Amino acid sequence: MENTPISLTTIVTFLPIAGLIVVLFINREREDIIRWVTLGTAVITFLASLGMVAAFDASNPGLQLETYYNWIPGFNISYHVAVDGLSMLLVLLTTFIMPLAVLASFDPIKERVKLYYCMLLLIETAMLGVFVTQDLFLFYIFWEFTLVPMYFLIGIWGSENRVYAAIKFFLYTMAGSILMLLAILWLGVNGDTFNLPTLLEKLASGALVFPEGVEVLLFIGFFAAFAVKVPLWPFHSWLPDAHYEAPTAGSVILAGVLLKLGTYGFVRFNLPLFPQASIDLAPVVAALAVIGILYGAWVSYAQKDVKKLVAYSSVSHLGFVMLGIFALNAQGVQGGIMQMVNHGLSTGGLFLLVGMLYERRHTKLMADFGGIWKVMPLFGALSLIIVLSSMGLPGLNGFVGEFTILLGSMGSNFLAVGFTVFAAVGVILAAVYMLYMFGKVYMGPVIHPENERLPGLDWKEVAVLVPLIIMIFWIGLYPTPFFGMMDSSVDALVTPYTAPGGSVTAAPELAPAPVAAGEAASVGLAPGY
Amino acid sequence: MELPTLQDLNLAVTLPSMGLALWACVVLAVGLFLPERRRHWNLVLSLGGIVALFLYNLTLFDLPADRQSAFLGMYRADNFTAFVNLIALVTAFFGVLMAYEYLKRTHIDRGEYYPLLLISTSGAMLMGASGDLAVLFVALELLSIPLYIMSGLRRPNAASEESALKYFLLGAFSSAFLVYGVALVYGAAGSTDLSEIFHRVNAGLILDQGLLLAGAGLMLVGLGFKVAAVPFHMWTPDVYQGAPTAVTGYMSVGAKLGGFAGLLRVFIVALPAVSGAGDATGWQDTIALIAALTMILGNVVAIAQRDVKRMLGYSSIAHAGYILMGAAAAGSPDVRDFAVSASLFYLLAYAFTNLGAFAVTVAIEKDDATNPQLDDFNGLSKTRPVLALAMALFMLSLTGIPPTAGVVGKFFLFQAAVNAGMVWLALIGVITSVVSAFYYLRIVVNMYLREGPGEAQAQRSFLGVAVGLAAVGTFVLGVAPVLFLDLAQRAVLVALGG
Amino acid sequence: MIEIYLPIVVLLVISVALSVVILFFSRIFGPFRPNRRKLTPYESGMTPIGPAQRRIPVKFYLVAVLFIIFDIEVIFILPWAVVFRDLGAVALVGMAVFIVILLIAFIYEWKKGAMVWE
Repeated sequence: MENTPISLTTIVTFLPIAGLIVVLFINREREDIIRWVTLGTAVITFLASLGMVAAFDASNPGLQLETYYNWIPGFNISYHVAVDGLSMLLVLLTTFIMPLAVLASFDPIKERVKLYYCMLLLIETAMLGVFVTQDLFLFYIFWEFTLVPMYFLIGIWGSENRVYAAIKFFLYTMAGSILMLLAILWLGVNGDTFNLPTLLEKLASGALVFPEGVEVLLFIGFFAAFAVKVPLWPFHSWLPDAHYEAPTAGSVILAGVLLKLGTYGFVRFNLPLFPQASIDLAPVVAALAVIGILYGAWVSYAQKDVKKLVAYSSVSHLGFVMLGIFALNAQGVQGGIMQMVNHGLSTGGLFLLVGMLYERRHTKLMADFGGIWKVMPLFGALSLIIVLSSMGLPGLNGFVGEFTILLGSMGSNFLAVGFTVFAAVGVILAAVYMLYMFGKVYMGPVIHPENERLPGLDWKEVAVLVPLIIMIFWIGLYPTPFFGMMDSSVDALVTPYTAPGGSVTAAPELAPAPVAAGEAASVGLAPGY
Repeated sequence: MELPTLQDLNLAVTLPSMGLALWACVVLAVGLFLPERRRHWNLVLSLGGIVALFLYNLTLFDLPADRQSAFLGMYRADNFTAFVNLIALVTAFFGVLMAYEYLKRTHIDRGEYYPLLLISTSGAMLMGASGDLAVLFVALELLSIPLYIMSGLRRPNAASEESALKYFLLGAFSSAFLVYGVALVYGAAGSTDLSEIFHRVNAGLILDQGLLLAGAGLMLVGLGFKVAAVPFHMWTPDVYQGAPTAVTGYMSVGAKLGGFAGLLRVFIVALPAVSGAGDATGWQDTIALIAALTMILGNVVAIAQRDVKRMLGYSSIAHAGYILMGAAAAGSPDVRDFAVSASLFYLLAYAFTNLGAFAVTVAIEKDDATNPQLDDFNGLSKTRPVLALAMALFMLSLTGIPPTAGVVGKFFLFQAAVNAGMVWLALIGVITSVVSAFYYLRIVVNMYLREGPGEAQAQRSFLGVAVGLAAVGTFVLGVAPVLFLDLAQRAVLVALGG
Repeated sequence: MIEIYLPIVVLLVISVALSVVILFFSRIFGPFRPNRRKLTPYESGMTPIGPAQRRIPVKFYLVAVLFIIFDIEVIFILPWAVVFRDLGAVALVGMAVFIVILLIAFIYEWKKGAMVWE
């Protein structure tokens, strides 16, 4: 391929690095300037990503806004970034969450301020890089690099047990991704390129054929990396520790974006590269996802600590995303991607709420609160919206994602109906533990006298929460533009799985008549709007 | 018999190694007459020579075919040699730079350090350039003997003396293995010239297959000692721990570089088909097995270390394992070129990274020269943020985390192994990389996540320059590996011409 | 091919055998009447004074080593001198390098005080 000029994708990806360089030249003592420069960078990155949306052609299923540069010639490694319908929303989610995370750190982070904001900017570039890269080597580089800033964020600015949590996080995720490295190497060696589109072409044209049994192994290689990151049950044990110990912004980034790297990886790599293995293993993955949904909900209910509850709820929510993706049809995948965004907004929001509570009371135990609504009515109201969004109330964003996923898994050619039934139970459980938490913390009388004089929200906290609430309502009431963005790409992605007479044999006895891909998408949008 | 003329010897292309050895003599002579306050001329002269030869060496890539051989084929001046020279000179540069103040403040400022280091470097360069087993042996001694002396530089400190004696005894032992192997190979093939051996082995003109195999095996043992491959690694931790830190730093890269340059040169140029049958390489499985053991043992045992130098010693064993993986992959004819260039690139990446790590360790070490412990890094990120950042970069690079030289190097080595069909070896490689994260991160944890009085002794200085340059090298090789990959890639094609 | 080394083996066997034979037979057939004076170490016919293994100053070893080094040099220079005319410029340069290295070594030894007895 020819080298192309630098596109907006590259600019957006590396804008945070530009901000980082500016921050590096600011004196350590000038903490306010550092904060504002970082916030400015994050906002500019967000605006630039809106520019990407403007330039983005939703009807085109292929890659757009590409930059191609022959990075390591002779080794078949290129710097190749681009967006399509699968990644556009996630890029937006990242650039949207980051300014909020930065703003939410203004007051809580008092130590080693410069280093902290450097890490935030680094992780933004790393995450954006993962979403936009189209080269396996480059992907691995960005993927591994997300570990470093997150490791420091948890390890330096976390709570008591932070060192343990940071190391656990690092080793778990590295252990997973290292198996992916092997799979990447196998593909690169045998496909003679690390470029994803080229590899897909070779697979389609038969220039690269997996030997017997290899496809499943490669699938498992990628699976190992992504399942740990998602985290899929039973690979989740690092997550509660990391979430719990991380500072608020760290948790927000972790829940809001970082976990999506895993689910995105499934969509980007496993589904198109290994169709047969995806079909063979879909029930297994879906089973793990459903176990995760129920287990996460169950364990959340048992928590006495708000932050832990929210952390475990992530395991449950991400289970939904995985279930949607491995329904292997348009609704499922669309719902999955939508739910990634929703989870980013609502769980990110929940962590922000926990952070605000902690800043006031320096405790996260539910028993130490109660009656907060009476003390802080505005905070209570905003919290209620986010909590309801997280449990999937119709009219708010969570419902759109979960409902589309359930539709998808119901209509899946590869999953038995039982998966959907159990997942639906998960929705109910979510309502149980969320409302239980809300009741304990916000409702009832003010039991503890310390809580009587809690200060209300200041402008920064309002500024952090309001954009989230707007998005929650927007997606909840009018999700069409968001689905529209990914429509054509998702259709192209699931074609091998849904096309009648394609390479893939369906299991018709488990499923209703296959729905044409285009129709499926519109059904996904339908529910009651 | 036609007598050689000066032109036949082609002295100009041998200048990097020969010139460095001669320059060492000059530095030695000048050093003798330097009064106390002009000791810095040792440093200036050494660095000047290294830099000049480095620049000269850059002109030695892609020589025309008739200039690629010197001393009647005993010295080979191909791109492989030039690349090994490049790494060796980089290593020597850092070795000199990080030692200068360290030797002074720990009161072992002996002028001999500099010429010894230069001679040892010239030996490492000669290992890669040898076209004859006899030259290989001489080069090995030239590389090793100065190192024995340098390990004992802190005489009469018991640890340093133990280190020197142990290194000397085991080094002599390994030399004996090598020279016996050379003798057996000569006995079997009737020549010590590498290309000649290759041709005779290929044509089946060897006296005895068993003799050749035994000879190759013994040479592998001898070189295995030098690169600290399991099970010939036992000397490494003790020697690394006892030797003065700057020496350890130089040794951990220089000796390995020489060992690997010799190993690749001999086994790929002379013995690619030692077991005879067609393409099959008898030594591939053996080296692969050694590589696997080396990676596992080095990484696992390193976890238990509290002494930084000992830990880095085991880590260097582990990295020898990774490079051996490349050597093993080079046993497959169609992967050969890729594997050799991957190994060379990794050696370069390892040189920058490991020398950087040792330079920071030198900075941490107290004036009384007690060995730095892991706890001495506690809180370093607050007291010396830049130093801590550099050390974090080196640790990430050794682990294989982007954006560093280490991850690119490892990627290519694993790729070579997968390419050669040794997925199991690559699997061991990646799993041990995760294990290594555990102990490398410990230093990062201590620097960033723990509080403590961590303090560096050296202020802004030559050592700082060394750390800075190593960090820049580590980073640039990770972000723009093309700069050197191109050279590394060209380095092999000719090396294997035989 | 390895048979060509047979004469060496024969020579080795003969030399070992001969020395064994000589010692063995002289021990058997020769008269053996030891007394104390006969068993003392030979010291030019004088009565021994003090033990034979006396400690010698380490400087002797140093001198011995130095002697050997420079002695070996001479061994190289002699044959070089014999064929110097035929070898030409290569030999001249080679020997020049050799001598220069030795010279530097010599200066080093001198300067370090290896030649000073006291």
